Amino acid sequence: MPSYFAGIDIGSTMTKVVIMDEEIIASIVGPTGPEHRRLADQVMAEALKKADLPFEAIDYIVSTGYGRINVPFADKQITEISCHAKGIAHLFPKARTVIDVGGQDSKGIKIGGNGKPVNFIMNDKCAAGSGRFLDILADALELDIAELGPLSLNAKEPAEISNICTVYAEQEVKTKLVEGVSLPDLVAGIHESLANRIFRMVNRLKVEADVILTGGVAKNIGFVKALSDKLGHETTVPSNPLLTGALGAALLGKDLVEQAMKKGQPLKKQERSLKQVRIL
Amino acid sequence: MSEEQIKEKPKKRRTATKAAASIGPMVKALIGNTLKAKEEGKQKLAFTFIVCSQEEIFRAMDIIPVWTEQFAGICGAKRDSERFLERAESLGLSRSLCTYALCGIGFDQWREELGEMPPDPPWGGQVRPDMMLSSGQILCDPRSKWYQASQQYMPDVPIYNMDMPYPLFNPKQDHRKVWGYYHKYIVQEMRGLITFLEEQTGNKMDYDRLEELVDLTDRTWNLIHETYELRKAHPSPMGTGDAMNTMVPMTFMLATQEAYDFYADLHKELKDKIANKEGIIENERFRLLWGGGLPAWYALQDFNYFNSKGAVFPVETTYRMVAPLDEMDIPKTSDPVEHMAWRWLGFWTFWYDRARQRPGSEPDVERLISYIEDYDIDGVVMHEAFSCRTWHVGLIWQLHQLAKIYKPIPVLSLGKNEKQVKGQRELPSLILESDIIDISSYSEVDTRNKIDAFIETLESVEKSKVV
Repeated sequence: MPSYFAGIDIGSTMTKVVIMDEEIIASIVGPTGPEHRRLADQVMAEALKKADLPFEAIDYIVSTGYGRINVPFADKQITEISCHAKGIAHLFPKARTVIDVGGQDSKGIKIGGNGKPVNFIMNDKCAAGSGRFLDILADALELDIAELGPLSLNAKEPAEISNICTVYAEQEVKTKLVEGVSLPDLVAGIHESLANRIFRMVNRLKVEADVILTGGVAKNIGFVKALSDKLGHETTVPSNPLLTGALGAALLGKDLVEQAMKKGQPLKKQERSLKQVRIL
Repeated sequence: MSEEQIKEKPKKRRTATKAAASIGPMVKALIGNTLKAKEEGKQKLAFTFIVCSQEEIFRAMDIIPVWTEQFAGICGAKRDSERFLERAESLGLSRSLCTYALCGIGFDQWREELGEMPPDPPWGGQVRPDMMLSSGQILCDPRSKWYQASQQYMPDVPIYNMDMPYPLFNPKQDHRKVWGYYHKYIVQEMRGLITFLEEQTGNKMDYDRLEELVDLTDRTWNLIHETYELRKAHPSPMGTGDAMNTMVPMTFMLATQEAYDFYADLHKELKDKIANKEGIIENERFRLLWGGGLPAWYALQDFNYFNSKGAVFPVETTYRMVAPLDEMDIPKTSDPVEHMAWRWLGFWTFWYDRARQRPGSEPDVERLISYIEDYDIDGVVMHEAFSCRTWHVGLIWQLHQLAKIYKPIPVLSLGKNEKQVKGQRELPSLILESDIIDISSYSEVDTRNKIDAFIETLESVEKSKVV
């Protein structure tokens, strides 16, 4: 009988679920929002439906991300640092640095030769180091967030965005627009500004190749280019850069179950059901 | 938070030692004594700062210290600093300045404006001083400016600013070649302080008493060193959380018999704990070094959170402001003022010789390495307090240098051709970010998320170690 494992990553902006046996058999990415966070059970149910599995079929569930404590049906909670490292080491065994730029925070993770995290750094104090920076500035320019990347590739001379505060940067961008700076130059400048901020943070870790970029912002080709240039390293983006935390969570659950089996002490399935969080 | 808002009462931190648990009432008594002395009006009160090597001088002249950093710390620990910080801001002082200073200036201005203590002052409040004794210690400029700012609201209160330099580290030069000049200068500054105090009190310095107090302080330094060294034991009997309490006699009560007796009791308590194999926690999994930064005084429970994950801090660089006198290699003198100046120089240059022997090292980094080895450390944690650039600006650099010149963990990693090779790696490190007393810079959720991730990192490093 096959064994199934689930990883659920509740980030500040997006919720991600991976269900797997030996391979991923279903995955879901959706906005978190206050309701989704409260209703982690519904997101899970949606993923189970996609996998065509009953809840009881899942052998082990690991939750991760900022909302990991809001998953009452998880067997274990593991931080996003360990989960991202695991997910990336699985997909890219030679990866040594992971840079994850999410909706509200960003982080750098150094991975050791054994595929485990050996050091990390997190920015959670300021929106200017996260995807929120791009969200706000895209709004200011009346652009869809998905347009930013391709648009920036046409830049001739990226504008210099000197303000490191998101609120002031918004004002600066509007002023530059009035001054006649082209949209591609402006957007490329925004990407450089974010890349500089991320670089300053991850540089503390001494970045080593292979470098993998994850998180929603890794989907932005303009940002990826700006950060790669700044790092002086080629960077790789997984096919779905939002899923690596949930994948790592599912894989860590799988490891725990297999290690317990090896020891001859199989993990007992605890009583759990898909229920709503009460604490919020 | 407005002044009227109800304050959230901080939870009491669990302590591992009886000595640490006894500190609260002791600090309360220190503040109470200043209030009582003010009321009685028999002794002069002086605002002053910690670690300025001036305790014996003012104690020999019966002057009661009012430790302004201590009062700001108390406001922070009681989560009652915001109203004083806001007041300082409204006086035109930026929130990015030292928040200890802002808190103190805000409080003093309010007290002066009212002509009495502000409403519900923490532990009775900070009294109006008769004089202010400052020293920038060459590294902390707010100390020199703080009292000048306070003097705007107390123009009749005189200031003596003592300059206390020491030779900066130079990897190519033995500091002993130049420290004689520094010594002369410091002695002059200290004698200047004595003259100032004699003028303020109308009394002459009793040099016999000064000599006794200097000797008492020397003995207390040695005892503290010896006592803290006991924390090397496995399991460690006392952690940094407790040390943030037991620093009180070291910093606020030096040159008193009470301080000496406190460490004698702590020494005995730790010895007993070691004999009974009684650690900070039952199962000590990871031993961490608090490698720098003043703590977030309102969040000392975070040390308990580390403990709940099996991590303890047997050692810290913060507030360990003593060094063993017999290892200092300072010239002997029978003049107590001259000895105090040598002790000052001996303390600040204590790690210079060792740092010169390791290419790329610096005294602060050498101290970290020494503690890592002596206390069998698995990881380093630092705290960056945004408002205190003096103490915190070099922390990241120290970690960089540490990682560059010192890799103590033998590990297996994938080399060329996917073959496993033996190597060495640096200790994991964590930098927490907030402030000493400004709670608006702190997030418990984010801090504990970082701690969780750090513990998982330590676990993974543990697994990859070559046995």
